Amino acid sequence: MLIKYWPKETKIPFMRYRYVGVVLSVLMMIASVYLVMTRGLNLGVDFAGGSVIELRQTEQVTVPEVRSRIQGSLTVNSATNANGELVVIRFGDLDPSLLGPEFQALSDEDKADRASAASNTYVVNALKQEFNLTDADILRNDSVGPKVSGELFREGMIALGVATIMMFLYIAFRYTWSYAVGGIAALVHDAVGTIGLFSLLQLEFDLTTIAALLTIIGYSVNDSVVVFDRIREIRRKYKQMPATEVIDIATNQTLSRTFLTGGTTIIAVLAIVIFGGPVLQGMSVAMIWGIVIGTYSSIYFAAAIVLMLGVDINRKPVEDTPGFEAMP
Amino acid sequence: MLQFPAWKVLLVLGVLVWGVIMALPNAVNMSNAPGFLPKNSVNLGLDLRGGVYLEMEIPATEVISSRLEVFARDVRSAFARTSERDPIFFQPELRGRTMLIKLSRPDADGNFPVEDALRRLDRINSPIEGGLGGGKTFDISRAGPDSILVGVSSASETAMLQDALNKTMTIVRRRVDPDGVAEISLTPSGSNRIVLEAPGEPDPERLKDLLSRDGRMTFNLVESSPAEIASAQAGVLKPGFRLLEGPETGPLLVREIPEVVGSDIATASQGNDEANRPQINFRLNANGARKFYETTRNNSGKLFAIVLDDVIMSAPRINEPIPGGNVRITGSFTIEQAQDLAAIIAAGEMPAKVQFLDQRVVSSTLGEDSIESGFRAAIVGLALVAVFMVLAYGLQGMFAVFSLMANVILIFAALSLVGATLTLPGIAGIILTIGMAVDANVLVFERIREEQNNGRSLWTSVQAGYERALVTILDANVTTLFAAVILYTLGSGPVKGFAVTLAFGIVTSVFTAFVFTRMLTIFWMKTFKTKSFAV
Repeated sequence: MLIKYWPKETKIPFMRYRYVGVVLSVLMMIASVYLVMTRGLNLGVDFAGGSVIELRQTEQVTVPEVRSRIQGSLTVNSATNANGELVVIRFGDLDPSLLGPEFQALSDEDKADRASAASNTYVVNALKQEFNLTDADILRNDSVGPKVSGELFREGMIALGVATIMMFLYIAFRYTWSYAVGGIAALVHDAVGTIGLFSLLQLEFDLTTIAALLTIIGYSVNDSVVVFDRIREIRRKYKQMPATEVIDIATNQTLSRTFLTGGTTIIAVLAIVIFGGPVLQGMSVAMIWGIVIGTYSSIYFAAAIVLMLGVDINRKPVEDTPGFEAMP
Repeated sequence: MLQFPAWKVLLVLGVLVWGVIMALPNAVNMSNAPGFLPKNSVNLGLDLRGGVYLEMEIPATEVISSRLEVFARDVRSAFARTSERDPIFFQPELRGRTMLIKLSRPDADGNFPVEDALRRLDRINSPIEGGLGGGKTFDISRAGPDSILVGVSSASETAMLQDALNKTMTIVRRRVDPDGVAEISLTPSGSNRIVLEAPGEPDPERLKDLLSRDGRMTFNLVESSPAEIASAQAGVLKPGFRLLEGPETGPLLVREIPEVVGSDIATASQGNDEANRPQINFRLNANGARKFYETTRNNSGKLFAIVLDDVIMSAPRINEPIPGGNVRITGSFTIEQAQDLAAIIAAGEMPAKVQFLDQRVVSSTLGEDSIESGFRAAIVGLALVAVFMVLAYGLQGMFAVFSLMANVILIFAALSLVGATLTLPGIAGIILTIGMAVDANVLVFERIREEQNNGRSLWTSVQAGYERALVTILDANVTTLFAAVILYTLGSGPVKGFAVTLAFGIVTSVFTAFVFTRMLTIFWMKTFKTKSFAV
């Protein structure tokens, strides 16, 4: 079987290049933060508020036709799903002059609260009139008010924060805090790197992206834990071996598993990218990227940081850090 | 690790058979199957079956100010005996969440009798509904030498919002689903929000129209001449009257105090008039019927306006006293309009006008597309992973593929068992689980391979492989399970569906990969006396 062509014992000196790895990772994280600060994120309606409407593309209903026949500042694009082409219309609060006298009679506070819903109603009615559509022709119509979008964003961020803390506590409980720091550093690295990719490619950042980020966090820790487990095991077997070598052996021994699991997961997610339709595309692209950098970071960030912390913080040779003791 | 006594084998097979039975309704129509078999397939989320999701909020300030308005009326009627000459004469002034009451005149000594007024107000201040602490509904305190401030304590506000939420939920249900047949779901969220999910409903605008009406129904006597209407339109209103309009009647002056109100209505429904045009029939309760009879007896010849949310629906002339309390509104309605209006009238008045915060509409066509996309992605994903595993590990890979299939079946069985909702991201969760489930197998297989490479026999290698990989498998899966649980707790809507399938997938995959694959492997090794796995 093909696995037999995988070298039986790889001896890649990963830890020799650990500083290169850490520097690269830190640079990537800085670049991600810089991108998010300068380019920003392409927030979807979940987080930015506003509306998204999807129509089936027909001879009459096309992107340029919708652009030219519906007034107001709309973003119109096309997309593909299982059964054909779609016209996707996005917009925020439209110019109040379009929204009718009833809206203009509202107080300023009410206007702010209702602009999103009123804009949605206006565009739906305009579409129905211009293209002679019925409700069944409007495939999707999401409209998120400013109150909810802010809350959803906050809740998403809280979810990411809570997940990170839980992972830290779990690793600290199963190993020691220096492993916890390494695992969490890798997790933050993967999450930040994925958010950076969203900013770079201006992919839509919405609720499903948060779901993808949480999955990446889980996967990242999963990957780190497999390496950590092996480090602990080897450390128990060879008590005198230098820490660098221990980590190298552990990463080499788990290398085939790292690539195989990463491979099958990417294959499965790739099926979602290709066949899953536009709703899941952002989510699955995020997951693929997260798995790729997660695989890298479990070696070059998690393990490297454990090595550094074990040596530096305890001011003792790494052999004596509690991380290498047998679990009771 | 390598011993599988008969009871263990039976247990594992039992779980799998149970999984197949539970998951079966998702694949075939079971309506004709014998009674002991389960017939429920997983619930499809709104994004897969189509429908409307609406999140609405009851504005707290409006709830409180309408309660203060009612209190102001109570204050007026409790002090109805007092006159302009009484030193305690009230001038309530509403200011959003508070109400300022000004005493109109000092007594002989030049002092305002605030203490006396506070005592009298306290008597009509009722205890908090459903509260146990004995607190009063309103906080009433002196605000100055001649004024009193009426506010609402936070405990009382909570009770008011709870009450408004309950009432609104009932009204929303009655308006959207007057016959109680539709499959709608209403969920309270937080202290003053309601989530409405209506599968199959294509038109959010109709729902929003239905729900944004106050539903305040009144019957007011009309007393207006063209001259009076003209002067009212110029801004000079006859005291005690209001100028209202209606599409059928035009502008009319009606008495400010209604004769019959919405709470006097017992039922309302859509019917047809003599010319077979849709109309709205309703019946008044005993109290309402009596008031209606008396009003019609005493006001023969006048117009009697039927007013809904300050719009005159119709204003028929009173020809004779009408007993029995059966009333109808005729006009030019479509059947649907008449049905909706009847539902609004029957449901009663909203405690406050709801605001729509979040609306998600998916047509059933898009839902079908999504099911198709998800299904296709799942099949392709499963096939690719299966091919990959067989190519990489041969026979052992084959075992892994069997357990992968068992895993998908068990996920569906678990979803059906707890009645979970499957969403499009939920399908993504299953596909992701397919990819990640083989991790446990890979960990074990790699371990076996290492042990074999170190020169151990097959049996020892397999034994060591499973033993040593167990801790790692558990550690690795617990972390992903954490992520799924957090996502479920904090996430909303379709994303929750993702968390559910991911969590179930993790649990079932540990079982299938660690127990089922092991059983298959050992069964094979014993039957065919395998010496080594070709790895």
